[in-house]
This record gives sequence, C-alpha cells and structure tokens, in this order.
Amino acid sequence: MSNRLRCFRQSLTAAALAAMLAIPGAAMAQERGGTMNIIVQPEPPILVLGINQQGPTQTVAGKIYQGLLTFDFNLKPQPELAESWEVSPDGKVYTFRLVKNAKWHDGKPFTAHDVVFSTSKFLMETHPRARATFSKCEKIEALDDHTVQFTLKEPFGPFLQAFEVSSAPMMPKHIYEGTDFKTAPANATPIGTGPFKFKEWVKGSYIHLVRNDEYWKAGKPYLDDIYFRVIPDAASRSVAVEQGTVQQTQFNDIETFDVPRLKALPNVEMTTKGYEFFAPLSWIEINTRTKPLDDKRFRQAMMHALDRKFIRDKIWFGLGRPATGPVNSVTRFYEGNVRKYDYDPKKAEALLDEMGLKKGADGNRAKVRLLVMPYGETWTRLGEYVKQAMKRVGVDVTLETTDAAGWVNRVSNWDYDLTFNFVYQYGDPALGVSRTYVSDNIRKGVMFSNTMGYANPEVDRLFAQAAQTNKDEERQQLYSAAQKILVEDVPVAWLLEMEFPTFIDKRFKNAVTTAIGVNESYDSVYMVKK
Amino acid sequence: MPRIAAFVSQRLIKAVFVVLAIAVFNFFLVHAAPGDPAQVMAGEAGAADAQFVEQLRQQFGLDRPMIEQLGTYMGKVVQGDLGFSYRQQRPVFDLLMDRLPVTLSLTLTAFVLALIGGVALGTLAAMRAGTWSDTAITVVGLTAYATPIFWIGLMLILLFSVNLGWLPAFGTETIGAGYTGWEAFLDRVKHLVLPVTTLALFYMAVYTRLTRASILEVRDMDFVKTARAKGLPEWRIVSVHVLRNAILPVITVAGFQAGHLIGGSILIETVFALPGIGRLAFEAVLQRDYQVLLGIFLLTSVVVVIFNLLTDLIYSLVDPRIEVAP
Amino acid sequence: MTAAVITPSRKGSGFWAAFARNKGAVIGLVFLTLVILMAVFADLLFPTSPWDMTTIPFQPPLSEDALLGSDTLGRDIASGIAHGARVSLLIGLTSTAVAVLIGVLLGAVAGFYGGRVDDAVMRFTELFQTIPNFVLAVVLVAIFTPSLASIVLAIAIVSWPPLARLARGEFMSLRSREFVQAAVTTGQSNLTIIWRQILPNSLSPIIVSASLMVATAILLESSLSFLGLGDPNLMSWGYMVGAARTVIRQAWWMSFFPGIAILLTVLALNLVGEGLNDALNPKLARKGRA
Repeated sequence: MSNRLRCFRQSLTAAALAAMLAIPGAAMAQERGGTMNIIVQPEPPILVLGINQQGPTQTVAGKIYQGLLTFDFNLKPQPELAESWEVSPDGKVYTFRLVKNAKWHDGKPFTAHDVVFSTSKFLMETHPRARATFSKCEKIEALDDHTVQFTLKEPFGPFLQAFEVSSAPMMPKHIYEGTDFKTAPANATPIGTGPFKFKEWVKGSYIHLVRNDEYWKAGKPYLDDIYFRVIPDAASRSVAVEQGTVQQTQFNDIETFDVPRLKALPNVEMTTKGYEFFAPLSWIEINTRTKPLDDKRFRQAMMHALDRKFIRDKIWFGLGRPATGPVNSVTRFYEGNVRKYDYDPKKAEALLDEMGLKKGADGNRAKVRLLVMPYGETWTRLGEYVKQAMKRVGVDVTLETTDAAGWVNRVSNWDYDLTFNFVYQYGDPALGVSRTYVSDNIRKGVMFSNTMGYANPEVDRLFAQAAQTNKDEERQQLYSAAQKILVEDVPVAWLLEMEFPTFIDKRFKNAVTTAIGVNESYDSVYMVKK
Repeated sequence: MPRIAAFVSQRLIKAVFVVLAIAVFNFFLVHAAPGDPAQVMAGEAGAADAQFVEQLRQQFGLDRPMIEQLGTYMGKVVQGDLGFSYRQQRPVFDLLMDRLPVTLSLTLTAFVLALIGGVALGTLAAMRAGTWSDTAITVVGLTAYATPIFWIGLMLILLFSVNLGWLPAFGTETIGAGYTGWEAFLDRVKHLVLPVTTLALFYMAVYTRLTRASILEVRDMDFVKTARAKGLPEWRIVSVHVLRNAILPVITVAGFQAGHLIGGSILIETVFALPGIGRLAFEAVLQRDYQVLLGIFLLTSVVVVIFNLLTDLIYSLVDPRIEVAP
Repeated sequence: MTAAVITPSRKGSGFWAAFARNKGAVIGLVFLTLVILMAVFADLLFPTSPWDMTTIPFQPPLSEDALLGSDTLGRDIASGIAHGARVSLLIGLTSTAVAVLIGVLLGAVAGFYGGRVDDAVMRFTELFQTIPNFVLAVVLVAIFTPSLASIVLAIAIVSWPPLARLARGEFMSLRSREFVQAAVTTGQSNLTIIWRQILPNSLSPIIVSASLMVATAILLESSLSFLGLGDPNLMSWGYMVGAARTVIRQAWWMSFFPGIAILLTVLALNLVGEGLNDALNPKLARKGRA
C-alpha cells in the first residue's frame, strides 16, 4: 500500500504544480462516486477551523478548508494552496506563490489577500497557536494577487510548519472582513477552498459534506459525499465498524481493547501512519514543587518502577512505542542516545533507599496522589496499573478522578501530585516540546504549559537558541543537548510515543497519504466499486 | 368546570414558583463545580495562553460577579430565553429542541408501553393470584426491577444485534440509505426497538407490581363484593369496578416518574448512541456547559410539573368522585 | 413503590412466623446472608488486593487461576466480586442511612408541626422530587468529584424525598392519636414525644422502605460507575460492569458476573423488603384501615 501511496503522492505534487495536467492514467483506476461514512467523536462545537482546532473539528473541517502547505510522512513540506515557496538566506523572509485557480465555495477567487487577512487578522484573534507564530512576523504582505511574503523579526526554525491546515487554515476575507469573527452568522455555513462543501449538520447525529464540483484540482475529488457520524458510545463505534455502517475511524474513536478484534476483520484495514505531524507523547506529569517529587531520584525511581512494555502491550494493546525522552522519535531533531531507564523495581527501590525513604510498618515509604486524566477508560486502566506498580516499590498512590473541567482546573493551578498528560508535538520541538519544559512557560492557570514547575536555565537557553535558527544541523546539536539533560532530570515520567489506529474500509483508497493523515482534504480518496 | 379552571390556574401559579426556585437552585449548584467552560475550551484548543482564557471568560460573562450572572440568567429565563451555549455556538433552546424529538420518542414510547404492559400484566397476575402465571409474572417483574438497565441494554445488543443481527445497535436511522416515507419510518422504528425495550422493561416491572398490589387491595372492597353479588361477569367487574379504582396509585407513581425517565434515558442514550436530551445532559456535565445544563434542568422540571398537573386531572376523570382539591 | 397503606407495628412472636410464610423472603434472606459473609471474609477468600494483576489478561471462566475469568489487566473477577460486595453493600447501607436520617428528620418535623412548617418542608421536598434524581446524582458526583463520600452523599440526597413523605404521613396520623394527645397533656416536650412516642410506632414502614432503598442505592451506584463516576480506588460491582462494558464482546464474563451479582443482591433485598412488609404490616391491620 505504501508504495502505491508514495507513487500517488508524487502524482499529486505534479498535479498541483500544473493543475490542468490530468492524473497520470497509469496510476490506477480512480472512479468518481461513492459515499464515505466517517466517525466523528466528540461532535465538534463548530466547523470553522479558524475558530476551533479541536481534533474532531480538524478531521471534518480539513475537507472544507485548506492550508498553504501539507507535510509528507517525514515532515517535509508539500504544496497545497501554495504551489511553491522560497526562504531568504538569512531565514527571515518567506515568499509563497499561490495556485491561481483556487476558488472559495461561493465562487469568489482565492487570492493572496485572503492569506494576508487570515494570518494577520483572523487567526491572530481566534487561534492561539497561530498567534504565537505570526506575532513573530514584522510584516505580512501581498506582493500581487498570487504572491504573499512573510518577513520575520528574527529567524524561526519551524516557521513552515505553521502553514499546515489546522495551524493556519485560510479563511475567506470577503466574508469575514469587518465582522466579529467568533459570532459571525457566516460561521453556520463554513466556506473554504477544499474539495468538499458543507451541506447539512444534524446536531448530535451527522455532518454531511458534498463534492465541490468547482474544486481547483481538475477531476477531483472522487467521492460524492462524506458523512461524519456522531456516535458517543465507544462500544457502539466498534459495532459500527464491524457492521460496515462506517468506513473510517481515527484518533481515539476505537478504545484500545477493541483494536485487536477490529484488526482481524476482513473488511477493514488498520494503519498507524498519518499522525506524524501530531506525534503525541504521553507521560506522568509530576508536580516538582511537592515532596518527595522535588527530588529527581524519586522521579528516576518512577521511570524504573513502571514497566512501559506492559503498559504498551496490556493497556494500549500493542499501540505505541515506549518513549525514551521528551521528543517523539518521528518528530524532527529526536535524540536516541540518552540515559536509559529499563524496567527494574530493584533499581527503583535502591534510588528510594538512597533518598532515605524507608518503608513504614504498612510497607509504604511515601504517599502521593494521582489525578487520572478523564479522557477515556484506557487512562483509568493506566491509573490502576500505576497504583499497583508503585505499590510494589513501596509508594502508596491514591487515585483521584474528575471530569475534564476539574482536571484542567486542578492541573493548570498546580493542585496535583501526579497526573497523566499527552501533547502533540506538531512536527518540531520548538512548536510542541519546549513549551512543556521551559521556565518562562510556568504560568498558573494555563493548561499545557510547564505545569510541573520545572526550571533549568541551561534547558531554557538551549531551547531558545534552537528555535531562533533555521540551520538544521545547529538545531539538532542544541536539541540533542537539551534532551540529554531532560532525560537525566525526569521533569515528567515519559510513557509512550502514542500511536492512533486508523481503521479504513478496504474499498476506500488513498485516505492516509501525509503526516496529517485523516485531517487531509481527501481530494484523492476514491472508492473501488465491486 | 369553573372549579377545574380555578384548580388549574392555582396549580399553574404554584408550578411557576417551583420552576423558578429550581432555576435558582440549579444555578448555584452548577456553579459550585470547579473549572469553567473557558478553561475546558482553552485546554482543548491545544495551546492555551492566559490571554485566550481571559478572552473566552469575558465573552461568556464569566468574569462578572456571581450574583450578576444569576440576575442576567433569571432575567432571560423569565423572557423564555435559556441562554447561549458558547461551546456549541448555538442558543440552548435550539439545542434542546434538536435533541427533544429523540428523547421524546424514546421515553414516551417506553412510557406508554410500560404502562399498558404493566397494567395488563399486573391485572392478569392479580386475577390469577397464587397460580403459576402469577408467580411467573412476579418473578420476571422482580428480576427486571433488580437489573441495572444499562446492563440489560448491553445484553440485548449482544444478543439481537451482534449475534443474531436482527436489529441495529445504535443511532436513530441508517444514514445515507436514502429512505423516504414509509421506509424511513420503518427504519426509525427498527432503531428504536432495543432502546425502548430496555427502558420500558424496568418501568413495566414497576407498574406490574403496583397494579397487582392495588387490585388485590381493591378486589375485596364492599362495592366489588356488591357487584359480584349482582352476578356481573368477572371481566366486567375487573375492568369497570376494580381497575378503575386500582389504577389510581399507578397513575400517581407514573406521573412522578416522568422526570425519572429522562434520568434513565441518560444511560439508554449512552448505550445506544442516541442524540437525545439525556446524552446532552451528560456531555454538558462533563464539559461544564452551564447554560445547557441549566436549560435541561429547567425543561425537565417543566415537564414534570406538567405531568403532575395532568396526573391530577386524569385522577379526576378516572374517578369523578375524587374532588380536584387545590 | 412500597405498599401505600401502613399501620403501627405489632411486633413480637408473630414476626418471624409471618416473615417465614413468604418463601421468597426466606430465599432472599439466605442469599443476602451469603453476600454479607462473602463481604466479611473477602480477605480470607482472596487474600491479595482485587486490583492485583494475578494472571494473564482475558482468561475465560473456569481457568486454573481465575474461576470466573480475568479482566483486561489480568485481575481476578472472582476476587473483585468478593471485595466488591463490601463496597456495594457499604455504599448501599450508608447512603440509605443518610437518606433515612434526612428524610425522617424532615418528615417528622413537617408531620408533627403541620401548618407553615409542613408547607415549607413539603415545598422543599417537591423541589427535589421535580429534578430527575439520576441527573441530580450525576451532577452532584461531578461537582464533588467521585469518591466514596461524594457518591454516598449524592445517592442520599436524591433518595430522601419519598422517606420524608412517608414519615410525614405517619407522624401526621399518629399525632392525633390518643396516646400522643395524652403525652401532650402530661406536658412532655415535643422532642420527647417525637422520640419516645411517635418514632417507635412509625418505624416499621420506614424499615420496609429503607430495605428497598438499599437495593435502589446499589443500582444507582452501579449506574454512576457505568458512566465513569465511581470511586477509582474502590472495586465495586458497579465499577466492574462499567469497566467491562467496552469489552463486552471480547469478555462477556467481565460484565456478566458482576451484573449477576448486582441483580441477585438487589433481588434478594427486594424479597427481604417484601417479607418485612408482610411481617410488619399484617393484612388484618391493613383491612381495618382501608
């Protein structure tokens, strides 16, 4: 399959460069027609990707809206609405040439002015991740209708990554200019440049997208309709796959324990590719302000006490890879040559003994609380496992549960000892890794910041320096050094480089072709009819 | 008739106060929870900064003093405005109306089935008190009453959907099937069979027990003995004299349980993936969507108040001797 | 759902005879005793913690080291059921006790004093009855975050209104009886009258109601756990079904056995409740009042 995909991706690139060119006929028999039912869970609050970037919103709205770039499995930029681009030698000026025949769903042409409006106005107001990136720009200007130029105040290594569709979706200027973006009535009927148009949304039930007949890539898309079905119950979702009523699930739709069973089904195929851009990494977040968690030996002991292979095999049912440090191995600038923590309760006990934590009459040396993340049953199982595993080395763990709001509230206000967390890395340490560890991101009340309260001036320096250059070799050196220090300090106990299973009905081809996988536009997905 | 009008208006005034009191009570209850929607939304947006959280909070009015928020809310409620769900970007009223048909078709069908089935089975059991059929009905009823309803739901899915493949396990319709008219209706009915059965079983057990007990009680009363002495056929005695009186406690309980059915529908709608009010309530709790939760509470209390009112009216119809006392 | 008509009890020698006449009640009592014994001796039957991963995951029932099978992490279902009996009974009993306390207290005050007090208490009770109780329980547990205490409290808070109504009715009718009037004229304080005269005479319907409420409380707890709102440190039957529901098709035994445990225990409690009703409210007395 991957061979065919790669071959097809090349043809896609070619098509984008010269849109009038038909797909090389030799590639395969791609037919028009077909309806795809995809699970969407939880139901997105809104489909305007510029306003909301939750996972499910991305999957649906990724078919409606587009970005300037997309990324292949190795995170190399690929053309989308930008057919080519160049970077000045000093790494400060980025110039994009846009495709000339792209149109909004209402028929208006897509131009450089839409890009300027999106990146300098719309997203600055509504999109925190885009705001962080584009506030680094000194100016953003349209050189002509199809050329746009970004001038940075100083070089920023991962700037190109910021043009992926969910990081910077293009929004129509002619619709939003002068309105209050968040409450604009136009939000009910999203207008993008993508291959599928919004048709109908029956809340709580399904979202219906239809083929955009005016799509700027000739002959595409192939599918007539996509239905996104809302199915809140996990058990029902796997029944839906089994019975064939839905043809695709992604991210956390299928609970891990259903994965082995669904994998064996004859009508569906499973892949874990297509999440490289997100590359989530899971860990036990440790509040380093409290005793005994402030001692790095305790945190190292945790790394030895937890059998991450068991966690992968028995709790995640084989999905994922034990993590070696703060950077996912599919993210750029990963460093594998770091201190290793093998599963060894004896080493853990030795470290705890060294700290002077002696076992009491009840066999416990210390008592800590673990706030279980309310994101599904797998995390509950993990909590139960951690409790038993830590008990074996004499640490009594009390489990606490809460709902999403309570969890965010307590973790962001530092009211916890241990909790679980996983964050997306967005392809580059400067986008998705450093935020967890740098000390100027210790911000009370802000989720997914440095909530552990970890501070190391050397780590701060390395991360800052690495972000401000676009020379890859230099960046690799700096990031490698940072990773070595972090793995020694264990500010969080890394668990798994997470993999998400995507189940796709075998009749549907070309769904997962890039690093953003199911959030792709699906303009090249087609159905093989029997 | 003017007496009934006076009675109804009096009850209505009382009902309005009950509903308002519940609105205030709920407001404080829900706000006692830790966390607010701004934080959840910011968290889920991925990279939340303080500015973003503050912006959301201002937008939602969450930065205003509590008493002011209550005032704003109550002022709107009085005008029939249930507020705006910022999470779903829609007015709460619209959300409720979207979800209401599913829950109503689920609960009302289950309710009617349970009531008819329960009264029928209870009557049968009472008429044959002491025989094997009475014992069978009682045992089955007790078992249904003692079983967690979500468990029944799961077992039914296992049997009828997974193993036998007779009925769909989730949703309200086959999407993309393009059914129209009669076919579409049949499709919806098929989707409702399992959830309705699950919900109805429990309540049927309740009504069966009540009806049986109530009939046994009334059966030996003087007016029944008189009727029997007159030589009226047994079915006539039961249907006209006994049932009419015996059904009163059943109606009372059923009226009270109108709201409980919505509670049950949280579980049913979760198991069968139905987009109804119960599921909306559960999601709203998890996501701290205050406005939606308050709206649902209000809606259900209005429904219950109406049902209680209806119960009283039916009472007077079933047994005209009973006065409609305020 | 309890019988609506109730009288002051006539306890004594007739109690056991009357109770034993109801065969179902006897079976229920025997089963309940077994459950209680299992709860008490859980540590002897299964010495390791029910959370311990003692065997291979997903072992079917009748496996060598897991009689009723094992769960997703290799924990023994049988051990979970034995230890879970404690938690389910504990939550059932304590939440009922709290509900009885609130309900009887409010009902007693309303029934005894009547008038405005009665009005106020009854309006308050109605308020609680208007809110669907399961929805309220979900909200309460969510607000106080799931723990043994919050679950017990939530169940109690949604369960007391019927008891308050029951107690009120009892107190109202007993208050006008001769023996209470006599106590009033001899100048006994209200508290003494409530405590010494009325309460003992209204106990039997309350006991019957309470026994049935334990059953309802166990069901409520399991429903909360099913939705993921159980105490994560306690192995309760409700938790087990809740945790098993997503794997129901890989491992039917994981939800089947705890489900059966709930069913049988709740059934037994109902049977015992009915037996108590028969024994404490003999039919003769019923007729006299109708």
